[in-house]
Amino acid sequence: MNLVDLAFLVNAAIAVYSGWRVFRTDSMVRASFLLLISFLAVGAIMLLLGAVYLGIAIFFMMAVEMMIMALFMLMFMMNPAGLNPMNMVHQEKLSMLAGALAFIALGAVAVFGDFPSRPRPEGMDVVVSLGRELLGDSMLVFESAGVTLLATMIGVVVMSSRRGRYGDANEGSVPPGLEPDGTPADQSEHAGDRAEQDSHQAHHH
Amino acid sequence: MTAALLSTIMILATLAAGVYAIAVIDRVCSAAIGTATLGPAAAGGNGVAAITVNAISPNVFLAPIHQAAAWWLAPLHTTEAPDATAWRLAPVLYLTLAAMGLALVPWSETFVPVDLATGIVLWGALEPLATVLIFLHGWSANAHFALLGSYRYVAIGLSYILVSMFVLIGVALPAESLQISAVVASQQELWNVLRQPLGLPLFLIVGLGISFWGPLDFADSSDLAGGTSAESSGRSLLVWQFARMAMLVSFSGIAAAAFLGGPMGPLLPGPVWLILKMLFILVLLMALGRLLPRLSPERFMTLAWVVLLPLAFIDLVWAGLEALS
Repeated sequence: MNLVDLAFLVNAAIAVYSGWRVFRTDSMVRASFLLLISFLAVGAIMLLLGAVYLGIAIFFMMAVEMMIMALFMLMFMMNPAGLNPMNMVHQEKLSMLAGALAFIALGAVAVFGDFPSRPRPEGMDVVVSLGRELLGDSMLVFESAGVTLLATMIGVVVMSSRRGRYGDANEGSVPPGLEPDGTPADQSEHAGDRAEQDSHQAHHH
Repeated sequence: MTAALLSTIMILATLAAGVYAIAVIDRVCSAAIGTATLGPAAAGGNGVAAITVNAISPNVFLAPIHQAAAWWLAPLHTTEAPDATAWRLAPVLYLTLAAMGLALVPWSETFVPVDLATGIVLWGALEPLATVLIFLHGWSANAHFALLGSYRYVAIGLSYILVSMFVLIGVALPAESLQISAVVASQQELWNVLRQPLGLPLFLIVGLGISFWGPLDFADSSDLAGGTSAESSGRSLLVWQFARMAMLVSFSGIAAAAFLGGPMGPLLPGPVWLILKMLFILVLLMALGRLLPRLSPERFMTLAWVVLLPLAFIDLVWAGLEALS
């Protein structure tokens, strides 16, 4: 067993262990970052396979994705910072079934699949050949996917931005009343009336 | 084996010497420009300690050592139910990222600790990974100000990580390679700082950002009582501040390689040129850190998306046209 095999085994063990811990931990943020560790180990395995661009692409893609995922989950969570323990699993039977099926299917591909054995030709630059593939034969597919994703991102930013085409999203908004139909919390009666008038005007428009 | 050992020693020694240099340069800049000593020393809710330490050691060469000793000896306090593992690990891992970044910097044509074919992309990956660790550092303390600091960093960080990506793609274009040694070699005739004049100024802002320094210190700022390190103390805080300055050292190496021709230069040997260029970048960053005004986070966010990102696009188009001609 040489150094590369050892590195593969260590990274594979990290990927599987942290992937398992994702479902055993009790916090959304820990779950996201354990998943990140699992992906980083997979990225390292890809580096061992000689995929120097794709392996590192996994590093930065997953770092950003898991970060944003953790942040959004925190924002939607009731307990501050998500440090209070919570149950991370639900729909257990269905999930177990789905997991077992996915494992059998992927395992079958790995065991019974007929993989070609084509070692990298000497002196071949993998990054250049990947670039030629992405901007050559597969350009239409990748560019369509890329432009679609970009349009989605711009759409999300437009929709979540405070300044929209109908003006400032906070305009005319008032905190809920302390009692049904009562004065808005933390505002004087006068300010509440004015805000209410504003919202009426907005309706007429 | 000896090459690997030599590289490791070189990187660790550079990080340690660089951090000390930053601490000294920052104090010199602060004295020259006439602002109160805040900066790294005051972060982490340890402003009081920093002021007393600076009061007893007015010598700029000794003050960083006194400050480090004060953090080393200070007791470690904790919060109610923190994520202890993440809280202790985040500073160490952030320091690891800084060391990984410095490992990519070529010292001469033949001596490059890690000459990865996608070195530029790996540096691009270290920036989001640093974001994760800064977030984790603030989140794991289980305290309000620390969490607010980490929210802020993530919200603002994404905007200049994009700027960093475009600027770095710009330097990879004329080299026709993502390898940092190839980027250095492509500057044989003209350094990128002149060939792509928008690149270095934009990249310097990224540098202030990833080490949350000076005007871009939103994560650990004093208006959040120290932000992500509001609850940190003792040796944990020492490692955090050390790592943050180490990230600046590592950044200055990448900036020197990407824009100032790395180890290239007449008469003197390559490593000496690289060190001089790194020091130049660090002095520039420390002076900018003292001179630039600090915007409120929302305003900086608008500036980043509306001004800096379009400038990065222009830089990229400029680089492309220049590479075609």
